[in-house]
Amino acid sequence: MPDTPEQPIVNQVARLARIHLDEQQLKSSGEKLEQILGFVSQLEQIELPKDVIPFFGAIESVNAIRDDQLQTSVPREKILDNAPESDGEFYLVPPVFKPTDS
Amino acid sequence: MTLSALNADVIVDQLNAGDLTATDCVQHFLDRIQTHNADLNAFISVSDTALEQAETIDKRRKAGESLGCLAGLPVAVKDGICVSGQPTTAGSKMLENFSAPYDATIVERLKSAGAIVIGKTNMDEFAMGSSTENSYFGSTTNPWATDRVPGGSSGGSAACVAGRLAPVAIGSDTGGSIRQPASFCGITGLKPTYGRVSRYGLIAFASSLDQIGPMTRTAKESALLMSVIAGFDPRDSTSSKEHVSDALTSLETPLKGIRIGVCRDHLHEGLHWEVKTKINDAISVFKQLGANIEEIELPHSNSAVAAYYIIAPCEASSNLARYDGVRYSFRAQANDLEEMYRNTRGQGFGDEVKQRIILGTYALSSGYYEAYYLKASKVRRLIKQDYDEAFQKVDLILGPTTPTPAFKLGQHTQDPLAMYLADIFTVSANLAGIPAMSVPVEPSSTGLPIGLQLQGRAFEENTLLRAAHQFQNETHWHMTSPAEPWRTQS
Amino acid sequence: MEDSVLNSNSNSQSNNRQTVPFNDAKIIIGLEVHVQLDTDSKLFCGCSTRFGEAANSQTCVVCTGMPGALPVINQRALELSIRTGLSLNCRIARSTKWDRKNYFYPDLPKGYQISQFDQPICGPGHLDIQTTEASGQPRRIRIERAHLEEDAGKSIHDESNDRQSSKIDLNRTGTPLLEIVTYPDIRTAAEAKAFLSELKLILNYIDVSDCNMQQGNLRCDANVNLHIPLRGQQIATPIVEIKNLNSFRAVERSITFEAQRQFEGWQENGVTIADAPKQTRGWNDHTQMTTLQREKEDSADYRYFPDPDLIAVKIEETQIKQIRSQLVQLPAILRELLVKEYNLKPDDAAVIVSQGRGVVDYFLTVADGCENSRVANNWIGQEVLRHLNESNQTIQQYPVSHQQFTELLKLVIAGTLDQTRGKEVLNAMVEHSISSEEAIKQLGIKSVDNSELVTLCETLMDENQNVVEQIRSGNEKAIGMLIGKARKKNPNANPGLVKAMLSKMITG
Repeated sequence: MPDTPEQPIVNQVARLARIHLDEQQLKSSGEKLEQILGFVSQLEQIELPKDVIPFFGAIESVNAIRDDQLQTSVPREKILDNAPESDGEFYLVPPVFKPTDS
Repeated sequence: MTLSALNADVIVDQLNAGDLTATDCVQHFLDRIQTHNADLNAFISVSDTALEQAETIDKRRKAGESLGCLAGLPVAVKDGICVSGQPTTAGSKMLENFSAPYDATIVERLKSAGAIVIGKTNMDEFAMGSSTENSYFGSTTNPWATDRVPGGSSGGSAACVAGRLAPVAIGSDTGGSIRQPASFCGITGLKPTYGRVSRYGLIAFASSLDQIGPMTRTAKESALLMSVIAGFDPRDSTSSKEHVSDALTSLETPLKGIRIGVCRDHLHEGLHWEVKTKINDAISVFKQLGANIEEIELPHSNSAVAAYYIIAPCEASSNLARYDGVRYSFRAQANDLEEMYRNTRGQGFGDEVKQRIILGTYALSSGYYEAYYLKASKVRRLIKQDYDEAFQKVDLILGPTTPTPAFKLGQHTQDPLAMYLADIFTVSANLAGIPAMSVPVEPSSTGLPIGLQLQGRAFEENTLLRAAHQFQNETHWHMTSPAEPWRTQS
Repeated sequence: MEDSVLNSNSNSQSNNRQTVPFNDAKIIIGLEVHVQLDTDSKLFCGCSTRFGEAANSQTCVVCTGMPGALPVINQRALELSIRTGLSLNCRIARSTKWDRKNYFYPDLPKGYQISQFDQPICGPGHLDIQTTEASGQPRRIRIERAHLEEDAGKSIHDESNDRQSSKIDLNRTGTPLLEIVTYPDIRTAAEAKAFLSELKLILNYIDVSDCNMQQGNLRCDANVNLHIPLRGQQIATPIVEIKNLNSFRAVERSITFEAQRQFEGWQENGVTIADAPKQTRGWNDHTQMTTLQREKEDSADYRYFPDPDLIAVKIEETQIKQIRSQLVQLPAILRELLVKEYNLKPDDAAVIVSQGRGVVDYFLTVADGCENSRVANNWIGQEVLRHLNESNQTIQQYPVSHQQFTELLKLVIAGTLDQTRGKEVLNAMVEHSISSEEAIKQLGIKSVDNSELVTLCETLMDENQNVVEQIRSGNEKAIGMLIGKARKKNPNANPGLVKAMLSKMITG
């Protein structure tokens, strides 16, 4: 099991997860992460049989497939109704890059 | 008997017989919510169309139309399940203003059976928690002791049934979120086999573990709800095509000769002494019912919580990526896109959710996948194999639902591990995908409910319901309600 | 001291680098081609895949990633993927699964893309391409894999408006894409283009995709670097992925540009693959240059893991067999057929085959019907294709049926119609959608008997004494003038016959 993470790693992970954390939150998050990773490190002790296949959850392996058939889409007004910002046609989001100061 | 003391099957009978109108029934529970929700905070929102729906049902009944098997029955639904046109928040600021544009499959099924969704119940944010203290909308309290937690994450559903603000409720269970609050609130809760009930419309926490199930006073009510919500759904790829047979018809089939396994380890380690006593008493009841009690071993069950706390956060970190402030949900002010993402998710999610996203993101990030997610998924296989072997010997596995009765509000909020260990007996069933339920046994000497957990083979919910029902024929713990006005315990 | 040693050393290396000619560098190219599969509905929901509809009018709770919505795989997308795999000689997986590729982008609704990481539906295969190499041997480009995934939506970055926001359209979100990945077996820009042309043709033949590049139905990224021989060693330059190549020309030109740029860069700074990570560059059609793309610091950490909302798909042998049995003949087989059985030149065969299965079938029927594949090729290769090209029609829309076309060619082959009149007849057939018989009637063409021909020639000789003299004195070419005049007097007279008779009567 990898070593428990340092705080800069928490910072990095928070960025990867697109979650802003302030200094205080980073510190407390780092501590909790360390605590939980310490706890789950018990998995390390478990001897796995060589051929064990990971179990990802679904009980059956029967194909779940649908025919290529059109279904009515949700009306645009309804789908955009929950949007924080839209112009009635598009979702609007802040620009990908910061507007330049020029 | 007042209406709120009646079980759902009795209410349905009275509605069918014309002794009760749906309107009166719905009005009664709306009144109780109105009066008592301030104390319990079990509901996040109450339906503004419930009465209207009840009137329609009454009219249709009067006109002699044939109605569904739940026609007129009020049902409370956990707020992590989409009800079209109703607020669906998952207990999060992120979805505070979200109105679901569609019905979850189970809601569709409930509605077509004539049930009336009376309100949406409180929960830990995105179902992450074991106490309902992680809700953006405030904690729910336990009607048996209002200074204690109702359990979680389906704490609102458990508390509203125990407090009789609704006759029955729907919850969801990812690591114990139906059974643990059922145990804490003295009601019956069933987590069905993974794939038995459609997840379509259930706001995902950990997709491979989540299951929707009934939370009721009696096993019979759970059987009634299962007869409506269980079954294949073409919109959920993981839903099972396995035949569903009606649980109600087999409830009275005698238990004589049924083999019940008990894992002795689970009756020792860290177990509250009263929990141990009451579970042992319950074992005696099953013996009297003709069950053979056998010892079994689940050697990997002590790794279940660790495996769970890798798998669930990993899946959650991905499932919750969609809350980005673009198409729905809260959006924070920002100058550019990256800042919008970070602020939205920084401000929109509560601490526990952020913590689990960070854990999951970390465990899936480059170089760690094998050590964490893959390893945990392999351990998960071993846990499943333990059950497969155990179920060669026995038909059911019996044990405590939780190591302790309900703990105090605030008791574990600063200690995630202590909180996580509340799930120690429940997470294994989610990891293995098997059905499990919690049934009330005799409460503690201080009056706190205690739950018995029954686990069964995949797709054998009916065996669980049958055992629970016959246990309830012999006992009355499930039928006791907390005395009003509700009090603190000490 | 050390500095100067290093400098001189680096100078000498630099000098060495300067002496390597560009032509010695080997270009190493691998392609990643995204093909939009021709399904009616999206990969995981029932929304339409149609192009060009009003923004956000083709979405639902599944493809916009609403809370609680779940994906269900489209059967036809699987079939089309298998069909493609079989056509590219790929091994088809017996079990294929779905993985989540996690990254944030506003046109990616769920915050992850459902893709296939370690069990793609199609495993290794290959595609042979024709090259211009002297040997005439086809080149085999190995295919590493082909996997199914969902497309993202469209972000429109509108810099002009005051609020400086981006607009998001999710109509395209969830459209099925098959990503075909080659090994780095391609060696020239022309080969890359040839690979894509052949791939596009195959996809067309097997009805998997219309490959409309303007609509983004076929998109290509190219991984390019150089292997440069230097003092007995191979130096590799850093790999560059060129993104968003949406025309064959862009593929060809960007690779050519990139190879030159990498070579010059290496000559200048000597940076090799060991010194620099893979870089992403975009092709700019206006400047005709590749430019470095801004990258997010974490863009590579996609945190793939199996999608718990979907279960593995088992593909049965019988299903593969069935799809294989329905597979049409591929372009390479048809080219060989046209060369071997119909005696076409390889280039002519390639032209016919490149037009699609419809034209090939038209050709085969006409060639069989008129029993002269050369004539059929000449007429179809020129007249028909020109018409289709000019009118932007498909062969199915061509007004002359293959039966009528065959009848026409029979008349030409029999000499009843000469080339020129034949083409006049064809034009009339195309223009008025009439049979060759009707066209001949309409043009007033009738056969001219021998005595008419003799009279015509005698008249011509009488009226053009000076020309006859020229011919007699050895200027045989002058006969052409008489033939021209013959056509004016009687358009139905066969110029070949007139010429033969005139020469006999004049020089006789």
